[in-house]
Amino acid sequence: MAVTPPPPGAAGGPSAADGPPPYRRGAVRAGPAPGETHSPTGRASLVAAAASMLLVLAILLGSRGLRDFDSALVPYAVASVFLTFGVVYRYTVWVSAPAARRLFVEGWRAALSWENLRNSPTALPRMAATYLGFQKFLGARSHARWAAHQLIFWGCLLAAAITFPLTWGWFTFTSSGASGPGYEMRLWGLKLFGFDSGSFLGWALYHGLDLAAVMVIGGVGYFLWRRVRDRAATTGQRFGYDFLPLLALLTISVTGLLLTFSEMFLHGGGYEFLAVLHMVSVVLTLVYLPFGKFFHIVQRPAAVGMQLFKYTARRRGSDAEELRACRRCGQPIDTVAAVDNLRATMRDLRLGFDEWAEYCPRCKRVLRGSAYLSSVKRGFK
Amino acid sequence: MLGRTIFIDPGRCIGCQACVSACRECDSHRGKSMIHLDYTDEGRTTASLPTVCMHCEDPVAPCAEVCPADAILITADGVVHEADPTRCIGCGNCVNACPFGVPKIDLAAKLQMKCNLCYDRTSYGLAPMCATVCPTGALFYGTVEELQAERPGVDVSTAFTFGATTVSTGVAMVVPPERRAPVPGGLLNLIEVNGRPTPGNGAPA
Repeated sequence: MAVTPPPPGAAGGPSAADGPPPYRRGAVRAGPAPGETHSPTGRASLVAAAASMLLVLAILLGSRGLRDFDSALVPYAVASVFLTFGVVYRYTVWVSAPAARRLFVEGWRAALSWENLRNSPTALPRMAATYLGFQKFLGARSHARWAAHQLIFWGCLLAAAITFPLTWGWFTFTSSGASGPGYEMRLWGLKLFGFDSGSFLGWALYHGLDLAAVMVIGGVGYFLWRRVRDRAATTGQRFGYDFLPLLALLTISVTGLLLTFSEMFLHGGGYEFLAVLHMVSVVLTLVYLPFGKFFHIVQRPAAVGMQLFKYTARRRGSDAEELRACRRCGQPIDTVAAVDNLRATMRDLRLGFDEWAEYCPRCKRVLRGSAYLSSVKRGFK
Repeated sequence: MLGRTIFIDPGRCIGCQACVSACRECDSHRGKSMIHLDYTDEGRTTASLPTVCMHCEDPVAPCAEVCPADAILITADGVVHEADPTRCIGCGNCVNACPFGVPKIDLAAKLQMKCNLCYDRTSYGLAPMCATVCPTGALFYGTVEELQAERPGVDVSTAFTFGATTVSTGVAMVVPPERRAPVPGGLLNLIEVNGRPTPGNGAPA
């Protein structure tokens, strides 16, 4: 194709007025595929509504018919219902796109296969711990980022483990006696254990959220510093995607700590205002969670599915059988199952060059260079 | 339509690796080079081919389409970015789907990396690192008019055929003026290699 010179002012790509929306990722199918009755968004709404109803039911039952429900925490509980709707909706739409759907199916097939469980029973827990818990791959990207992310991850996990059951009325603390310092922690009304409110355990239980806040502030501080100073991070960064999540976590943690500060040192001064500020920051963050950077929390288990899919496929037979070799140079590309999965994805997306997936990247470039050498600029003259 | 972009002329490439070194200096992937320099027929010819991301426009970014984690972002200026490290799960779909062989992958870090047209520079109007240092103009950054003002008579192509599919790209390759007429099946037909059909690629035997 010969390219005609672009009109003046056309340089720099499409203009904002007539071009595509400013950012897009991948391919999300808008309408129903042939043979489907629901569009992905319609189905997602149904699934998300069902999940939200399930949570409401779990709150009702878990709080023993709202007997243990703390009405001061209603906004948090409502936000968690909205969060469930948003997360499930986004998740369902996400796994409806061809590439994610195929990986989703293969990942679950690998996870639920008896054969895999028999042959490598530790693979799934090991990979979940590596990729989701300790995030070893982040260490390979940068040790500092790994440490900061671990602080945020465990801090948020701790905070979620404490607050969600509390706001749903699942955890209750009752006094074990009329006069003593003894307390009992209960889940769904059932006694878990008793403790002395003055003991270390008592202190740790009451200050679990403060500990979480300190961890999160440490991690967020490093990431904010990096967002300002590191030129790899600043390239193409966006306020809404890169800064907002950090600022949200920081606001939640700081206002949370201030609540403790007010209680311990100000005799509760400003507590009500701080409580509202804290609540607003938490609610907005929970509602925002399905949309921006936080969605990676929901997406990340796909890494385990993908890894398990490749690992179990490779263990089925010898490397010669299970690894796809480049059709030109013979170097292994990926597992046969992964390459076949990719080729099927490409056919779903009507990318008509899926055969090229069986060549390694270097051979693809060399083939193109050779074709240029022989048929476009013969001998590169 | 083609704006300010990279024009690749393999006929001018002397394989000096200056672009490879300069690419390492790019701020968004310091210390790692994203440009590929391949010696296409080593031992028989000195021909070499630099490969940057072609920033596919139609179909738009196959790498992003096959990404299961929606990690590859395409900005309105047509630049296909490297994977978002928050989302990339390191599955390698993009590496194997890209018909140009562009993306790289770090399997330990579970992260894809690729040329992003030096977004830290081009978004501020500067030329990408590779084009800045190329001593022979094999990598030229500018508009097609600027290219043609310097090199009268040359033409450029943004259409590449892979089997029956034509991929049109945001980065162009320089072609001789006699190739101006539309070529049936496109310009770079991988069914042929060095003038010989490659079996298994759908070429007539």
